[in-house]
Amino acid sequence: MNADTLTNILFASLRVMTPLLLAALAGLISQRVNLLNIALEGLMLFGAFFAVVFGAQFGSPWVGLLFAVILTTLITLIYAVAVVELRANLIVAGLAINTLAVGLTSYLLVVLFNARGAYSPAGLASLPKLTIPLLADIPLLGKVLSGHGVLVYLSWILAGLTSVFLYRMPVGIHLRAVGERPEAAETAGINLKGIQYLALLLGGVLCALAGTQLAIGDLTIFNDSMINGRGFIALAAVFFGAGKPGLTTLGCFVFGLFEILQFRLQTSTSIPPQLPQMLPYLIVVLTLTGISLQKVIRKKRISA
Amino acid sequence: MQAESSQLEPTPSQPPPLEQTTPRLSPVAASLLRTLFTLLIALLMGALVMWVSGKDPLQAYRALLQTSLGSRTAVANSLLAATPILFTAMAAAVAFRAGIFNVGAEGSLYLGGFAAAWVGFTFTDLPAWLILPLAFLAAGLVGGLWCYFPAVLRSRLQVDELVTTILLNYVAILFTEYLVNGPFLVPGVANAMSPQVVPAARLPRLMPPSQLNASFLLALAAALVMIYLMTRSKLGYEIRMVGDNPQFARWSGINVAGVIERVMVIGGILGGLAGAGQVLGVHYRFIAGFSSGLAFTGMTVALLVRNSPVGALLAALLFGMLRSGSATMEIMTDVPRDLIRVLEATIIFFAAIEFGSLLWRRRRER
Repeated sequence: MNADTLTNILFASLRVMTPLLLAALAGLISQRVNLLNIALEGLMLFGAFFAVVFGAQFGSPWVGLLFAVILTTLITLIYAVAVVELRANLIVAGLAINTLAVGLTSYLLVVLFNARGAYSPAGLASLPKLTIPLLADIPLLGKVLSGHGVLVYLSWILAGLTSVFLYRMPVGIHLRAVGERPEAAETAGINLKGIQYLALLLGGVLCALAGTQLAIGDLTIFNDSMINGRGFIALAAVFFGAGKPGLTTLGCFVFGLFEILQFRLQTSTSIPPQLPQMLPYLIVVLTLTGISLQKVIRKKRISA
Repeated sequence: MQAESSQLEPTPSQPPPLEQTTPRLSPVAASLLRTLFTLLIALLMGALVMWVSGKDPLQAYRALLQTSLGSRTAVANSLLAATPILFTAMAAAVAFRAGIFNVGAEGSLYLGGFAAAWVGFTFTDLPAWLILPLAFLAAGLVGGLWCYFPAVLRSRLQVDELVTTILLNYVAILFTEYLVNGPFLVPGVANAMSPQVVPAARLPRLMPPSQLNASFLLALAAALVMIYLMTRSKLGYEIRMVGDNPQFARWSGINVAGVIERVMVIGGILGGLAGAGQVLGVHYRFIAGFSSGLAFTGMTVALLVRNSPVGALLAALLFGMLRSGSATMEIMTDVPRDLIRVLEATIIFFAAIEFGSLLWRRRRER
């Protein structure tokens, strides 16, 4: 493998890890208040749909981004009210959001554009790419880190901010307290419901960004199976990272790397494409198994 | 809604059964009322979506009713569409009762379907009485085995079964797609499909010209077996114990891990049989991507009727009607058939709000 191939692989991995990372941050924040967010998958699909539809309508990817965030957050609000206010079962409500996402977007696709399954508007540009001035000049590393879309860089900033938010800001510390000791947090006067709303709605914004990146980050296309389990892979990254932003980001990078490796296997060898396509899912399941195995062994060691 | 849900606040030990919230009604009447109410809300939600998008809801629902029940063939087609849903609904229901979210039936459906097709196009000399049981046996085995992996991960290592079964479904779908594109490719056929099964391996059709076939009877039989299993057998009792309170079940000497594994494997077997029924009764071959989320529809059914096997039977028939009617509704009234998914989502959403705190507590334990 020469240096060019390596930089290409790393560059592409950083690109495809972005929706995973944004969704994983959403899952992570919910996880920290002890809410397992199953709806990531559906919220991403909503984000992708609104980004393409409104981007095309107004001829600007930025407007698409804006509408994706606003509307996806509104849908997240329904989910949040059900979970926080009406004490809906979290998992089942999440599955409802996922089903609604598939149903409503496919329905609207037919009604609005007479398109079944996929829609690619003509004349909608994708979000711009950035060349980072000094970074781009570094040999090799510059090729890997510079020239990505705006949301790629935003996702890195947001990963850092999530860490600052959770460990340095009062709200974030309250949030963790609610997740770890709900009764104690409530006694201390923390607004439990407010924190839960905050966590879920922040997740909605992040999922909207994740969907936007998938839909108009590079290409400008929507199709009803474009999320393809990424919401659940993102959740797996959260499990892998044990709720810590740094490790979760690493998990997303690894899963992104395998997505690119499988893609290269498809294009560079004569192996039937379906076999490499299975690879990322298997790696995620193996990773989950590994973490749990480690936990079980550690527990045994403590009790022994 | 709010009044009722406030009464459903999870208590630490025992979720209040629905009967307590409506004391004047018998349990059956209460659950029937609740189900009808949920259905009504779903239909209203669907009407709202249609109305906002400039379609005529009344016309659409009339078309739906007509094309799913309007004639002998329409009824037969509804039963045909209900067949795999019956299997997957039972698979989801039995898992729910133990507090488990098993969506693995989707993967089992694909792999089991392929296994049945393979038997059907490989053992070409066998008579019908031998090849049909053999094909279903292979499908059940493969389907059950497929769910055994996530089951062991869940029961021994506490790996979240919802996440693993959903991810493994993608693997099963891709793997069967590979099989019919690679090793079992039929030359000269544009779509990814296996060779046809021999005539001996085809299930008899019950009401031609409809494709309704003997697998519907098998689904009914499977439903009866499941009802017996859930209400009368020792395993059913253990499943209910584990679902109500896993901690207590463990203290009572129940092998909780074993129960969880059996519940998920049963779901896998049912998924495999569903796949075999579709392959041997409808398509006569394996076609890549033929299921389109039947396991999720099964889950919706199980959520709608919440753990009542008899209710699951009726609700599966209803969803068969919706599925079979929606394609024709789309042609007749210009309302996309994806509307059915919106109805499903509404039903799941309300089930989530009403749902006993059973599964909620189990998640938090980990």
